[in-house]
Amino acid sequence: MDGVHDMGGMDGFGAVEPEPNEPAFHAPWEGRVLAMQRAMGYAGAWQIDMSRFAQERLPPQVYLGVSYYQRWALAMEKNVVERGYAQADELAAGHALRPGRTLPRKLAPEAVAGLTRGSFYRQAQAPARFKPGDRVRARNIHPPTHTRLPRYARGRVGVVELVHGCHAFPDTVAIDKGDDPQWLYTVAFDGRELWGPDADPTLKVSIDAFEPYLEPA
Amino acid sequence: MIVCTLCSCYPWEMLGLPPVWYKSAPYRSRAVKDPRGVLADFGVKLPKDTRIRVWDSTAETRFLVLPMRPPGTERWSEERLASLVTRDSMIGTGLAKRPEEVA
Repeated sequence: MDGVHDMGGMDGFGAVEPEPNEPAFHAPWEGRVLAMQRAMGYAGAWQIDMSRFAQERLPPQVYLGVSYYQRWALAMEKNVVERGYAQADELAAGHALRPGRTLPRKLAPEAVAGLTRGSFYRQAQAPARFKPGDRVRARNIHPPTHTRLPRYARGRVGVVELVHGCHAFPDTVAIDKGDDPQWLYTVAFDGRELWGPDADPTLKVSIDAFEPYLEPA
Repeated sequence: MIVCTLCSCYPWEMLGLPPVWYKSAPYRSRAVKDPRGVLADFGVKLPKDTRIRVWDSTAETRFLVLPMRPPGTERWSEERLASLVTRDSMIGTGLAKRPEEVA
């Protein structure tokens, strides 16, 4: 969806402000939100693309107005309610009011140390359409649902640099339509192709693009 | 330079939790369009002809920068070289430390 989350190239957000000696968390609740998110991921309650899509569906003023972990918490609440694990009145009450949907599995303390990042590789359904060196155009698509093709690349021509194998496709995963495995490529664009003749001539920007995002150029 | 314009993808397993600035709108919006401006916010100025490559982490592949080896470290051991490497030098918003900074 064409939301505020897709912010590559937007102006007006001001300077980047590094914080010296930044702590891991700025308040204890942030760590709890991170822990809850990991636990729900382990539980199989939803997948990471569903978390991202829930954040993207927050109203723009909310998305931009809250902190990173607040955004996570709001997206988690959305998924909890939409997927029937609890209802809004239970979130407000702070405890269960009725039996909710059962989690596929639960994270036990002894499993925490062994938590690893899941793999997104999937069995290829067809040979890769592109190879390194191919010129490709990012399609001018505007799906109203989740996509990982940033707006600034759409319609632009780049060159395939890497083939990463076949991966679960976020666009379908996010809307409960399954993995629909797709080939994944690193595609590099000249800065001037993206930002016009005044762009930094030394700049090259790459995205990781799933095959349905691309067409031959 | 590594960024995630769409959310805040970051190589957690290698670099730990991302700093707040990495997840902020200023960084996510500007890194792909004005990376020299972003570098200036970090106090880093590169020669005009230094080529800049930005990797937008739009899928589940995670990237980090292999920092450039600073001059004057030719016979350094792996361990000593590692002492020059900073988190920001692996995100691409900073250079590795100079030898005199760790001496």
